[in-house]
Amino acid sequence: MKKIYTLFALVLVASMLLAACGAPAATPAPVATEAAAAATVAPADTAAPAEPTATTAAAAPATDDCKSPDLFCVGVVTDVGKIDDKSFNQSAWEGAKQAETDLGAKVQYIETTDAKDYDKNISTFGDANYDVIVTIGFALGEATAKAAATYPDIKFIGVDQFQDTTKPVPANLVGLVFPEDQAGFLVGALAAQMTKTKKIGGVFGTDAVPPVWRYGEGYKAGAAYIDPTVEVTAVYHNDVGFDKTFSDPEWGATTANGMIDKGVDVIFGGGGKTGNGAVIAAAQRNVYAIGVDSDQYFTLPEAQKMLLSSAMKLITPGVFDLIKMAKEGTFPSGNYVGQAGYAPYHDLDSVVPDAVKAKMQEIFKGLLDGSIKTGVSPAKP
Amino acid sequence: MEKKDLKEKFKALLVTVGDAVLVPLLAVFTAIIIGGIVIAIVGGDPFAAYKGLFQGAFGSVKALSETGVWATPYIFAGLAVSLAFKGGLFNIGAEGQLALGAVASAWVGYALPQMLGFDLPWFIHLPLAIGAGLLFGFIWGAIPGALKAYTGAHEVINTIMMNYIALNWVSYLLNGPMKDKNPLNVIARTPLIAESARIPPIFAGLRIHWGFVLAIVVAFIVWWVLWKTTFGFEIRTVGINPDAAKYAGINVKRIMTLTLGLSGMLAGLAGTVEVTALNYRHELGFSTGYGFDAIAIALLGKTHPAGVVLAAILFAAMRNGATRMQFLTQIPVDIISVIQALILLFVAADAIVRYIYRIRRSGGKVVLTRGWGG
Amino acid sequence: MDWRRFGFIAFIIAILFGTVVIVGMSQEPPILIIGSMMATTIAVATPLTLGALSGLFCERSGVVNIGIEGMMLAAAFFGWLASIYMSAIFKFPIAPSLIIGVIAAIVSGGLFALLHAVLSITYKVDQIIGGTVINILAVGVTGFLNRQLFFDKSSVFHGEVPHAAGILPIIHLPVKEGITALCGLFGSSDGCLVTANAIGKIFDQKPIAISAVLLVFISHHILFNTRWGLRTRAVGEYPKAADTVGINVIWMRYSNVVIGGCMAGLAGAYFTLESVPSFEPLMTNGRGFIALAALIFGNWTPIGAWAASLVFGASQALQINLQFFRESIPPEWGFFQNAYNVGQIPYILTMLILTGIIGKTTAPAADGQPYEK
Repeated sequence: MKKIYTLFALVLVASMLLAACGAPAATPAPVATEAAAAATVAPADTAAPAEPTATTAAAAPATDDCKSPDLFCVGVVTDVGKIDDKSFNQSAWEGAKQAETDLGAKVQYIETTDAKDYDKNISTFGDANYDVIVTIGFALGEATAKAAATYPDIKFIGVDQFQDTTKPVPANLVGLVFPEDQAGFLVGALAAQMTKTKKIGGVFGTDAVPPVWRYGEGYKAGAAYIDPTVEVTAVYHNDVGFDKTFSDPEWGATTANGMIDKGVDVIFGGGGKTGNGAVIAAAQRNVYAIGVDSDQYFTLPEAQKMLLSSAMKLITPGVFDLIKMAKEGTFPSGNYVGQAGYAPYHDLDSVVPDAVKAKMQEIFKGLLDGSIKTGVSPAKP
Repeated sequence: MEKKDLKEKFKALLVTVGDAVLVPLLAVFTAIIIGGIVIAIVGGDPFAAYKGLFQGAFGSVKALSETGVWATPYIFAGLAVSLAFKGGLFNIGAEGQLALGAVASAWVGYALPQMLGFDLPWFIHLPLAIGAGLLFGFIWGAIPGALKAYTGAHEVINTIMMNYIALNWVSYLLNGPMKDKNPLNVIARTPLIAESARIPPIFAGLRIHWGFVLAIVVAFIVWWVLWKTTFGFEIRTVGINPDAAKYAGINVKRIMTLTLGLSGMLAGLAGTVEVTALNYRHELGFSTGYGFDAIAIALLGKTHPAGVVLAAILFAAMRNGATRMQFLTQIPVDIISVIQALILLFVAADAIVRYIYRIRRSGGKVVLTRGWGG
Repeated sequence: MDWRRFGFIAFIIAILFGTVVIVGMSQEPPILIIGSMMATTIAVATPLTLGALSGLFCERSGVVNIGIEGMMLAAAFFGWLASIYMSAIFKFPIAPSLIIGVIAAIVSGGLFALLHAVLSITYKVDQIIGGTVINILAVGVTGFLNRQLFFDKSSVFHGEVPHAAGILPIIHLPVKEGITALCGLFGSSDGCLVTANAIGKIFDQKPIAISAVLLVFISHHILFNTRWGLRTRAVGEYPKAADTVGINVIWMRYSNVVIGGCMAGLAGAYFTLESVPSFEPLMTNGRGFIALAALIFGNWTPIGAWAASLVFGASQALQINLQFFRESIPPEWGFFQNAYNVGQIPYILTMLILTGIIGKTTAPAADGQPYEK
């Protein structure tokens, strides 16, 4: 018996040591992930004009001092996911963090562990008289709209929550949406120009989520725009639960490897960690890879040598801009279309022919001025 | 009855209750202390964290209401696992049974009026919706129960397999035939159920609903059936010793099938109540991870219905209070999982708790499950 | 391994492969489809095979292990943590970082198994509950540490995920070259070269996948041809008798459970060091439970468990491959277009197997029973 307790003590001490040595050691900070500006960013100009509404904070008993008009408070509520997901939730959170440094805002987040808590989590911020509440993901749409009615003095930013503008939208609610189909179209066109086998692939999360579906359909449309004979294989990870579909890198890698075995030589990984798995697997096999959401050159260093570009939607600046507008009293209502585009070629800049680069610029301009249409509907019919 | 006799009985009761209550309480206490140490090690303030946790769980009327909301499915699911334990069976499949129950209720709730072409009064519609959840939960539990009884296939593996099958089905249904067809809806969820299939909240403005009361009532019924009826006696006898039960003339196979069936039914009820009383629809992402929480709750409650209710409220308080804890201290909610695992560890290996606090063992050890062979 | 069961498993794998071949025949030669699907199958089956071997050692010695999932998850995290710690903090090159990561994964799998052993052998806690404790604990600990280390700015990594050391490379066996050379002897026909290509793909596997296959045969040898194996089985079947002939039951159980934990640890390493260089909370995704099912499917034998793992692997490969050819699936085969329907085939098969219609599964007699002198 005694031995066992000694053992327990040892394990405990060891774990404490491990945790303790975690804290002090000073090391250089890792690579800064600067947003790649480049010439590939679309201006946001489709925001609906809005009347500024009075922002008189109602006095209510709260443990926090956010009720004070001097303090500008921003709360972030995630979907059923983690704030450190290195993609969606984290990008929005970084937008809020930027408001902390640039606007002196107090920022705070709550992670949702069960979908039934959306209401409760939003009202935790609402009851504390926050000035702006950012809710992330379509699934929070209803809860956000409800809260916007309950808390008319608080500004709500719903990331990826498309608002039905045929009906009146509350003045304190805006949906931040992105033209993912355009980003997908751009990288699809790029992939179709770079493939030698005339076979390109895409590995995605579930197509039940419209942004993912728009990426996928845009990708197909872009490839067909360049060359209809290019064979596009798009595989969606539909066979698992909603909580797993974006966090299954092993499946993404396996699927990408299967595609490469079939002669696919450009792979677009779209959809959280699942897509990341595909991008890394492609780079490992020396096949061109295309990232998603942000410029993944900075987030997936393992794939740098083969990363052709990334289909980008700039959540961080979108969230920050809206927070800033809320502070300045120019908060829009309805839908605010964020920026989409494609990332620079980085290491492969010398490999991409000038003709292709010119063609990409041309398509990008066409998409912006509307002369090229992706033909993708907002959601899967 | 003699006075002395009564006194003796009371003493014996005190020892049993002390044993049943003291050890779990100390297990919870120890786990919370260790959790606090972990929080301190990573640089957090354990007192602020626990203060936030407590405030979030019990600090206001709204907080109490939300704790009740969380406790409701936990009570049902914990009862489900407990009932199976009483019958000597281990139900790891509560998650799948819950999901199927939820989907079945949601379907009756939104589709039945459309199919019939007219609205149903609530006193017909609501019982039908609940009944559908009960039925599917029962079937999903009875299949592994019958397989165990008639072929000897172990219920642990079969309930896990049935979990996966159920989740596959539910994903399919919510993405396909049962998906909300509203053009603005893009996620995998059913339409809202009709008003007539909803369980109302107890107080206007709060989310706490009559399902919570139902859960308490059901806990009482489970206790009554287990200890006051012949059927309950048969379940417990099969649980303690199936061979002896057989010689005593009990139809062991029937009892096993029914036990897991009823267990599944209780788990299904958890899903049903979530749909009819709280969310008014089913959505992927609702109520995940309840299967394992239910096992922990059943063990912490010593598989007794009253204990399950208390344990469920404790777990609910931790899950619910975690939001406020994170809001105030930004300590990750995962710490709750660590604390819950420690609670389970100390309850399961009560020898550790007994050693730390020098508590002697009273009475024999309860065998909960047997290996694959049994 | 009885031949009936083996035949049944072979039959199922043949059906799974055949389906894809028939669907995709119009686009690709069958041999290529089989080759690439086989390569996927073996890779996907790796954590299942190792997980099943983990359960095998535990259960053959009489300890039920439903904590494989938790052991795998913990190992995936700690193995990955060790490898990036080495590469990011100590600036180790890739190869040693990865090797240290694999070792750390094996050790942490072993440590979690040791906890299971302490609970179930020394404290005689119900073994299924002990396994549940392992599972819940692993989820909590990995989730909490993952957050603290890679998001909290005050941590050693300053809240950033550092550059991963990379992943284990493919070990290229010159099988393709060998067959191509053979083809040369027979005039290098196109068909022969395509075959060489397809078979070559099957053998292009990564180190953990290869060692999983080797470990199947090593385990078989240990279990059935060595003194250690004989003692293990004796302890799992008749612990009393084993004790009387002088075998230390407690010691045998402890060591087998820890060996099993190490196997689960290697399975965990597959996720973060061989498949992708990143960790996700809950990334093992229930594969530990599938491994357990594979063990029972294979009637508690190493080769049987491997065959069963291949069935599960093949059905996942089927789901992936069918999506490649989704366009060419005729509408009346709608059933197969739906990944959800295909996804549940292995679970239903496992339940069928358990009912005993294709031979009875027999667990070690003393499996799950604590040993009391």
